[in-house]
Amino acid sequence: MTRFNIRKRDGLARTGTFEPDITPGIKLPAATDTGVLFPSLAHAFNTNIPLPAPKSLIALYPPAIGEQPVSIHPQRENTAVSGDCVMVAGWHTAFANPRNFVEWLIQLKEKTPVDTAWYAPAAALPATVAILCYSGFDLFDYKAVDLRSAQGIFCTPTGEFPKDALESGICTCPGCLANDLKEHNRHALRQEIALVARYIEQGQLRELVESRCRMVADQVAILRHLDRQYLVLEQANPVGRAGIMRANSAESMQRAEVRRFAERLLSRYLPPKNADVAVLLPCSARKPYSLSQSHRRFQLAVGGRAHELIVTSPLGLVPRELETVYPAMHYDVPVTGYWDAEECAYIADIMTRYFRRHPYRRIIAHLEGGALKVAQMAAAACGITLEYSCTEHPTGTAELNALDAALAGERKVKDDRLHGMISYQFGADVDTRGVTLRGHYPEIYYSKGKAQIFSIDTTTGLLRPTFDGWAMIPEGYRVHIDDFIPEGDVLIPGVTRADPEIRDGDEVLVVGSKAMATGKAALPATDMARSRRGVAVRVRKIKKL
Amino acid sequence: MISDRMEKPLASWRGKERYGNEVLECLTIIVRSGGCSYGACRMCSYRHERFHTTSCEDLLLHLKAQLAWIMNQYDPAEYRMVKIFTSGSFFDPVEVPMAFHADVATAFHGKLLIVETRPEYIDEETLRSFIRLLDDGSWKTPLYCAIGLETSNDAIREKCINKGFTFADFEDAAGRAHAAGAGVKAYFLFKPLFLSEAEAVNDMRTTIADTVPLAELFSMNPCTVQRNTELEFYWKRGAYRPPYLWSVLTLLYESPVHMTCDPLGGGQARGPHNCGKCDYELVRGIRDYSLSADRELIGALLETRCSCKEEWEYILCHEQPWCMPLTR
Repeated sequence: MTRFNIRKRDGLARTGTFEPDITPGIKLPAATDTGVLFPSLAHAFNTNIPLPAPKSLIALYPPAIGEQPVSIHPQRENTAVSGDCVMVAGWHTAFANPRNFVEWLIQLKEKTPVDTAWYAPAAALPATVAILCYSGFDLFDYKAVDLRSAQGIFCTPTGEFPKDALESGICTCPGCLANDLKEHNRHALRQEIALVARYIEQGQLRELVESRCRMVADQVAILRHLDRQYLVLEQANPVGRAGIMRANSAESMQRAEVRRFAERLLSRYLPPKNADVAVLLPCSARKPYSLSQSHRRFQLAVGGRAHELIVTSPLGLVPRELETVYPAMHYDVPVTGYWDAEECAYIADIMTRYFRRHPYRRIIAHLEGGALKVAQMAAAACGITLEYSCTEHPTGTAELNALDAALAGERKVKDDRLHGMISYQFGADVDTRGVTLRGHYPEIYYSKGKAQIFSIDTTTGLLRPTFDGWAMIPEGYRVHIDDFIPEGDVLIPGVTRADPEIRDGDEVLVVGSKAMATGKAALPATDMARSRRGVAVRVRKIKKL
Repeated sequence: MISDRMEKPLASWRGKERYGNEVLECLTIIVRSGGCSYGACRMCSYRHERFHTTSCEDLLLHLKAQLAWIMNQYDPAEYRMVKIFTSGSFFDPVEVPMAFHADVATAFHGKLLIVETRPEYIDEETLRSFIRLLDDGSWKTPLYCAIGLETSNDAIREKCINKGFTFADFEDAAGRAHAAGAGVKAYFLFKPLFLSEAEAVNDMRTTIADTVPLAELFSMNPCTVQRNTELEFYWKRGAYRPPYLWSVLTLLYESPVHMTCDPLGGGQARGPHNCGKCDYELVRGIRDYSLSADRELIGALLETRCSCKEEWEYILCHEQPWCMPLTR
């Protein structure tokens, strides 16, 4: 029995350890001589089935080689079980057609157990391994780099050159120093894999891939086609991350987490109950916004008399209550003042849908430039009239005075950050009367009576409920377990069912007949059902029943 | 009997062909027939070239008209050998009506004839009566049945070609042909769909060894990607690569018997090819070898230096059924 212990997930990518039957475990992602790892690969005579082959051919000639790796094919029923190493034969040919690459990948990912190690034979080059890992492959060989060596081609993560590059100073690895092309190419592959592993561990592989894919049109196309597989990508990506989310390319806008923010804003989020005046504000470089100089001034001018909505790219619209929530507190964008047409259309669409769902009596635009333009586009689309407290220099004294004047006589809107955050995170409409808060923003703790109910996780900006907090959330985000008392984390075999809305990093309530626990999901609910081993929930507190 | 109506066959040309130690003037004809009754081979596009007629009489008229055109076009005194391909089986009565056999045998009386057929249509009696009309005593073996055996490996022939007969069928058919006084020319297909370069080379080695006792003439076709074929479907998607010319040369050089080889599409993406730089010389050499049987020429070509040779050697060692083709 082989095993694959996943250590860290980042979208479809993983790091972990594959434990084969004979040789010691290997850390993935890795390139290795797979002929040694899987001796049966040498006895594969006449077993080729190309990736585009139809079901009928596979039915006649099932590509069975040996026990490991298990050969999987887009047109074949899954035969792999958890812990297997699966091989997609001929995957190196998939690069030729990005649409097929993604279509086949999704078909395979959907039917294969999650905790399987994925081997892409002859596909890994320093320039391809980032997008291969991003696509969910973990195991590679040296076939493609050794072929380049035989062809006299010098490989780097950003392209290939004739072998005289060996002496050009582009690289000074041991292979280059010894004028050994084969060693250089293998070294370059190992080095890139190490870099990719690092990015996965940091939860920033997307940023690396957005950067690495630029030199090859087909790779950019793969990235874009994958982004169109929103349902799969959204499931695979965590609800929160620590650190910066770099939204530096046009594709950043299509990233599942960016789209998810808008989808949840438009489907789950509930604005404060008595908010009938909205102020549209520009974003700030500093996050959360309210810690920036400009927003301190905006908030002073507004004086709590309107619901504050921040217009920003690429997220669209961020209500003040959600400013700490991933990725609102985390994203960074190149600011030029110029908003391109696609950006404008995308954001105006989000705003249009938001205002149709949540009508306000007055909407005051305190914006300039691109943000002002999208607000006008949205207003025109949903037939509302904007008021303007400025059209440029929103932080100017006169402009802030105009904003103050525009709000003269308006009643205070209840500051209900908790209500908004709960609606976004758990899809619940919670009565927050009697809730008090303490702490220094954004490290906030919410209590009701003497009991603490929620705190804000300052890395992801998401809420952390206590048992009393969970009592306020009537349904959803429950992980049901068998009748045992968890000792430490809840493992996958102990889970009987889980709310399909649960994603990696979600706060969940573990519910069993003998115990309840609070904790954080380690993987999405669908993957709990499709894996056999590993942690399902990292438990924070256990309560015996 | 020559028809009044004349109709051009699909193709015909005059050339030279090696036979024993002689080089013969040869006429090659590709006849448009009723079409291959089998027509399921993965690499074959000839199945599209047929008359869409249901009547045997009508088909016969077309065939006679093509023969008339040939007899009118080429002076029989100028060639001694005739090769007839029908894109199927000459001896399949559905494809080529029996009545036409006699016309052909009579028209080419005294010539050395090579006709293409699948093994199931080789019938001793048919061959005997055909030879009676053809033979004028000039040739020890006036008729050869050219059979596309492709490979002696049944598993490969079934999966990679879908040929629909076995090696045993070929052996039996060769026996019937020999009993009727005909010879057998075996056609091999080098590197069908689904085989790696090394698998394909080894398959040819075994096939040649297996077939030498059963046939007198041998020809190896390096696989070419024809239009509207299953093979083309895979080739277009990067899942198939025609063989390297280096492999073709190696096989010709090693073969214990002389094999003719016409690398159709040689040097092009759809045909057997190397890197594009060395292809032209090698293709020309292979064509020369078919006539001259000069083994030393092949040896010299194999020694040609080219940067793609190291790539080919790598492919032979490292391309596997689960990671192929490694190159395009």
